Amino acid sequence: MQRKEAVVVAIKASKGNGHKLPENASLLALTSAALVLPGLFSPLANAAETDEVDFQYSHYQEGKRSISSGIIDPVSGDNTVAGIKNTFNPIEVDSLHGHANVTLTDRIKFAFNYTQDTWGGATPIATAPAVFGGNAELVSADGLTVVGATPYLQGFNQVLLDSKLNPVQFATPFDPTSGLIRNNQLSHTLATASPETRKQGDFKLTYEWDEVALSGGGGISVEDDYESRFGNIGGRWDLNQKRTTLNLDLSYTNSDTHATLNHDTLPYIDIKAYDLRGQIDTLSSVADAQILHGNRQDWGTHFGVSQVLNKDALMSADVSYTRSTGYMANPYKAVSVVFIDPGQQTNAPPGGFEGRLKALLEQRPDERNQWNLGGRYVQYLHNLDAALHFDYRFSADDWGIQAHTFEADWVQPLGSGWTVTPRVRYYSQDAADFYTPWLVSQQAYKQKFDAKGHAVGLSYDPGKLPANFSSDQRLSGFGALSGGISVTKRFAKGLSLETGFEYYTHQGSFKIGGGGEGSYADFDYWVANAALKVDLAALSLGGGSIANAHAGHTHFDHGGQAPAGVMFSHMLHQAGDFMVGYRYMYGNQSGNMLHGTDPVSDQAIVANGCGLNPCFLRPGSMTMHMHMLDLMYAPTDWLTLMLMPQFVDMSMSMGALNGAPDPQTVLDFNLSQHIPHHIQSGHETGGIGDLGMYAMFKLFDKGIHHVHATAGLSAPTGDVDIQLARNHQVDGGFIDYGMQLGSGTWDFKPSLTYTGQLDQLSWGTQANGIVRMDSQNKSGYALGNLFQATAWGGYNLTHWLIASVRGIYTLQDSIQGQFNGRINQFGPMDYPSNYGGQYWDVGFGLSAVVPSGDLAGNRLSVEWLQPVEDKVNGYQLERDGALSATWSVMF
Amino acid sequence: MELIKQAAIRLLLAMCLFVAGCTVVQPWERGNLAKSQMALEPNPLQTGLRAHINGSREAAAVGNAAQGGGCGCY
Repeated sequence: MQRKEAVVVAIKASKGNGHKLPENASLLALTSAALVLPGLFSPLANAAETDEVDFQYSHYQEGKRSISSGIIDPVSGDNTVAGIKNTFNPIEVDSLHGHANVTLTDRIKFAFNYTQDTWGGATPIATAPAVFGGNAELVSADGLTVVGATPYLQGFNQVLLDSKLNPVQFATPFDPTSGLIRNNQLSHTLATASPETRKQGDFKLTYEWDEVALSGGGGISVEDDYESRFGNIGGRWDLNQKRTTLNLDLSYTNSDTHATLNHDTLPYIDIKAYDLRGQIDTLSSVADAQILHGNRQDWGTHFGVSQVLNKDALMSADVSYTRSTGYMANPYKAVSVVFIDPGQQTNAPPGGFEGRLKALLEQRPDERNQWNLGGRYVQYLHNLDAALHFDYRFSADDWGIQAHTFEADWVQPLGSGWTVTPRVRYYSQDAADFYTPWLVSQQAYKQKFDAKGHAVGLSYDPGKLPANFSSDQRLSGFGALSGGISVTKRFAKGLSLETGFEYYTHQGSFKIGGGGEGSYADFDYWVANAALKVDLAALSLGGGSIANAHAGHTHFDHGGQAPAGVMFSHMLHQAGDFMVGYRYMYGNQSGNMLHGTDPVSDQAIVANGCGLNPCFLRPGSMTMHMHMLDLMYAPTDWLTLMLMPQFVDMSMSMGALNGAPDPQTVLDFNLSQHIPHHIQSGHETGGIGDLGMYAMFKLFDKGIHHVHATAGLSAPTGDVDIQLARNHQVDGGFIDYGMQLGSGTWDFKPSLTYTGQLDQLSWGTQANGIVRMDSQNKSGYALGNLFQATAWGGYNLTHWLIASVRGIYTLQDSIQGQFNGRINQFGPMDYPSNYGGQYWDVGFGLSAVVPSGDLAGNRLSVEWLQPVEDKVNGYQLERDGALSATWSVMF
Repeated sequence: MELIKQAAIRLLLAMCLFVAGCTVVQPWERGNLAKSQMALEPNPLQTGLRAHINGSREAAAVGNAAQGGGCGCY
């Protein structure tokens, strides 16, 4: 729960057409200062100099963590501690970020950001001495090979300590006479999480005078277990002919936690302290899920100054303060506590103690005050035409954490629009006062009961434990070294591509002054990113189609007026033209389960929806969002090439079917325990989808009629092997077919399009298809082939707005083959025959083009698809509808 | 209090550096300062991303700790 967020009130330093003034680059908003503010200030809401639209994708990949356990040495037969094979997939994150900055009037600027992250993988939930035997080896079904570690928080119920409370074990297994071996080696216990998605939208409105600007903004971040709302105001003041700029910002964040506690780990983790505080609810409607609630508030303020030092150097400095109150702990992290019951020491080793290991949900203070101070120096290097950036930042809080950050960037332009930036960063922090890998408490862990036999109160005396405790590695003492490189290529016409790579290593031994956490907690990661930036102001200066629009010459060209949901509807006009577009699609299913065209009862699904097995679950809702970039280029008049990267995310809720058999009577007990997880948490996936590559050929283009053919290829860049988390000692297996991100096969995508236009009327028709070119993907199946036919008509309401109506027919086969690995089949969505069908829809759309001004030629379209009829294969959830929205600009 | 004192001293130091190092730079002398490599933040998108990730990995008041923080297991 290391999160708080808000949008920064970084204010752009230039004003009006300021991006053309030379001094403004140097006085570019104090974005850098804002970026390093206490959590309240979002780094993503940086101020842009000019009207622009940016898209960025990034991938974060953590390395595998080492874990160890007390085991019996296979050679000597003695007790020992050794590394355990870690089969958990490490954390992986796919992120998408879109940013737009537009001038509304000469003095009013509007900025908007959208960010989403989908992550999944294994992470530490607790720490304990390895000799205690957590992380016991997981043996394969045949009992012969070790396939990994089980995520138990404790191995043996009893643990042994010497007189100084060091963890010990008998030299020879089960032989108290064999002597004691002390071993302080610690190990994390890891647990996996199924993929989860966070989405954030935020905005900022700025009003600018000549030397002063004021801004206000806000936003919201939403995920399954956490929601954050934030707002901020800020001001900027330019002094000394813009040699000095002052910034002052204030922000507020309010965040709610509502975390479903994993019922697999609940038997091991004591959550009673939160229960007694009224922070835990049991929801009987969702399989008795235990939900931990918390609220937190953050107030932040920041003051920054930037100063031109001389004609080759500038500097900035800032100070900020954040006060946080409320629930700041992580609802999924626990601290291992050894309870030593003085009255029960019969098995204690000579001179030592026996204890009982229990994990308590971590407890952090409900107040935190953070101070942060930083500076940046930028020096121009004449002989290299390069710039050297130095940053230093100091942070301190009343949790006892002091941190130092040093960074140096070398920004080296290479000519022809290329810039290379190598960088290095070093970070070091002290541990929080209440950080502890594990605890020992000299008391019994015993549940108390009242006269009627009801459990009351805590099983331990909290007075004999610290008030706060956490073993979260983020609060430990450590250092981190990272380095990376960014490469930027600026093209003509205002387009830029950026890409970057960074490697980061976290090590206890890197801490300044030593004394950091042990090497068991070390980890590393890399992150790579790619971004496309479109400078709208440069486009409008550059001529081309936008200049034509300026002259009022062209508003909707042939085919360009097709409804938003029609892909490949138009070609570019002439050789050398470019187009950049963004396409968003949303689809939702909920309501009835259908068989063919008719709603069916739960009983019918139980009996027939899952082949020869009974069904236990049905999908309650299924939502898909797709974000696509639409990049077009015309090498000749008769050919347009198109590249379409996609980012997809999906979520699905599930419910129990009435009349389903008790899972425990039909399934293996541990497997049956997966069903409550599905009901309690739903499923989420997200990341890169398949990559589309298309060539469009002009067949006929005379007067009012236009015909073109498209041949496309879809590369299987989307994942088709996403798995659910292992729990109850059973693998989660593949998530169902519909939740995977791509097809996994190379697909051929042909289409033929006819469009026409006469006066205020426009119309068109298109036939398109998807043919899977492989019989199965790497996971063993292939999605069904697809055929679609559509026809539409449009009418110009004004010279810049068109309304359209469209009809669509779609036919898709069911899935061929099936997953070639484990899939826990609980509902219709887990069976290949319950995919595909025939669909009839009608679409209602609006298309607008900005007729004049700086943004002339920008085109916006939306279309809603309303299902008319579904005729599904097998048993499927009814569709609610789909939305398409597009933005594009040609140049 | 000790923390606040430390912070104040560091801020004063930074301010002194500013004042001492400043010379008058006329608008027509700002050609180098206007170059994109001299921007205080030359790669805002990437810097934002890195701050976002570091913020969820480190306890310092640095950047935004938003990423995956809802679970915190990330």
